[in-house]
Amino acid sequence: MLIKIAWRNIWRNKIRSLVVIIALALGLWAGTFTSGFYKGMMDQRINDVIESEMSHFQVHDTNFREELLAKYYMEGAPDIIEKIESDENVLATSGRVISTAMMGSANKNGGAKLIGIDPDHEKAVTNLDTKIVDGAYFEGVKRNPILISQKMAESFKLKLRSKVILTVQDLSGEIVASSFRVVGIYKSGNGMLDEVNAYVNRDDLQSIMNLDQDQYHEIAVLINSHDLAEPTAKKVQEMYPTLEVKAWLDLATGMRYMVEAGDTFAYFIVGIILVALLFSVINTMLMAVMERTREIGMLMAVGLNRRKVFLMIMMETLFLSMIGGPLGLLIAYLFIQSTGSSGIDLGAIGETYNELGFSAVVRPQLDLQSYINISVMIFIMAMIAALFPALKALRLNPSEAIRKI
Amino acid sequence: MNYVIETNQVSKIYDGVVPVKAVDEVDLNIENGEFTAIVGPSGSGKTTLLNMVGGLDRPTSGSIKVNGQELAGMSENDMIDFRLKHIGFVFQSYNLIPVLTAKENTEFIMLMQNIDRATRNERVEKLLTEVGLEDKMNSRPSQLSGGQQQRVAVARALASKPDFVLADEPTANLDSKSTENLLDIMARLNKEEGVTFVFSTHDQRVIDRARRVVTLVDGKISSDERR
Repeated sequence: MLIKIAWRNIWRNKIRSLVVIIALALGLWAGTFTSGFYKGMMDQRINDVIESEMSHFQVHDTNFREELLAKYYMEGAPDIIEKIESDENVLATSGRVISTAMMGSANKNGGAKLIGIDPDHEKAVTNLDTKIVDGAYFEGVKRNPILISQKMAESFKLKLRSKVILTVQDLSGEIVASSFRVVGIYKSGNGMLDEVNAYVNRDDLQSIMNLDQDQYHEIAVLINSHDLAEPTAKKVQEMYPTLEVKAWLDLATGMRYMVEAGDTFAYFIVGIILVALLFSVINTMLMAVMERTREIGMLMAVGLNRRKVFLMIMMETLFLSMIGGPLGLLIAYLFIQSTGSSGIDLGAIGETYNELGFSAVVRPQLDLQSYINISVMIFIMAMIAALFPALKALRLNPSEAIRKI
Repeated sequence: MNYVIETNQVSKIYDGVVPVKAVDEVDLNIENGEFTAIVGPSGSGKTTLLNMVGGLDRPTSGSIKVNGQELAGMSENDMIDFRLKHIGFVFQSYNLIPVLTAKENTEFIMLMQNIDRATRNERVEKLLTEVGLEDKMNSRPSQLSGGQQQRVAVARALASKPDFVLADEPTANLDSKSTENLLDIMARLNKEEGVTFVFSTHDQRVIDRARRVVTLVDGKISSDERR
């Protein structure tokens, strides 16, 4: 009977209840969708970091990442790769030779980061081969081919088969130069990387820099799960304590912070919205209790004990919240599913995001656990919102309440 | 003699800038089956006395016993439970639960007492028939006239089979016809089923039907007339 009374009570003032329900639904839709949007953006960024930039973890000489000098290579790198590949979780590896360079075209000179790769191994680790927008992935130019970004091509006014002069420091610190020819133009979707990264054959770069065939600066490793990146990197680190082994979270600047913050962001946004809605629900329920002072007094007079009065008001508040909350979640779910598959093109703003390494087309997504957690947050909010009006009702004195008009 | 209500030197003083003595050392004993009207002008202490007898308010001094049980020592929760089991209330403004039908309003008290469904249904039907509302069982208060609502309130008050019914100005909001009708019902229940009624009223029609009239003036009993 109490449930029946509580349920019917919320429909006594339909407009007021509907306003609260709609406010809850819209607030939660907005909060949940924003969280899904941010999560989608972050997940795309993480995938880009792993698939296009870092892979799951990398191995270097301990000084290399800081100084980027040719002399900080890893001796016997193919043996290290063989040992790493013996781990069942490892899917592919790519040994790289890396150097900062001065790149010169007929129109411009500028800095670049030269990455010497084995094209076949590289495409097993990153998706560079899928990012070609003009030309081919190391096909069509026999001697010293170079893959440059679209951004570089525009900046240096280069076309396919254009000649570029690359000047690097060799192993002994001498400045050496060599000419390369553009074999392909790529666009990775990360504006910052596109500004500097150019890819050449590892053998070519080793030859210019006077490095031996088994001397690499970097080994990039792809494994079968994002979650196993850190434990597997740790295992490799234990095998090679004199080298530096770092997982993608620590390789990409600010990535660890971004991922950790991303996890709490969803709850932070929803939390702020729920706090605002909390006051709306409290206000509505307080009005409902104040309007029914006399009725509640009567209920207490005829024998409804305080525990049951408290329960009744709690239930009314919960009903209100638990209609609006799940409704908002449902709308958010449908919206996230719909935009998650079609993607949201950020248009002009997207270019700015792109410069920062984020995709211009965001595919919102939110996992089941997040929906469950948000539902729990709604329930907790409803319980807190219910407390104040219910306590107010409890403080009523039946004889005084009945006299109120 | 065993009284259903016994008040002994009951007083109630409301604190304020000037303390007000609403009820002043009242001794009143009511027997089972009585049909008593407590009368007096506004502010004479009728409602305060009824509230104290009904356990809705506590006296400043003196003692109140209901069926021999002292109310003074009871906790707030015990008092609510005691009211549920022993006292029926009829209020001036009916005070039905607006979201429940006449049947549900009457049944509500029995639900609080955990009475089984079959007994509830049987008793609700009997009570609403007795007050002449057998065809209004599924109507909500907003669909009933004032007189009909007050009759539902009487049925609700009797649903828990209380020791007595306290009715505070039950006819104050009713027209003549509804008043007569309600008084007929209550008089019949008193006569045929021995239900004890205690009213507070200044309605002459109620006073005329009462078999005992206790008059309060300035919180004191000025007369106690049995007819």
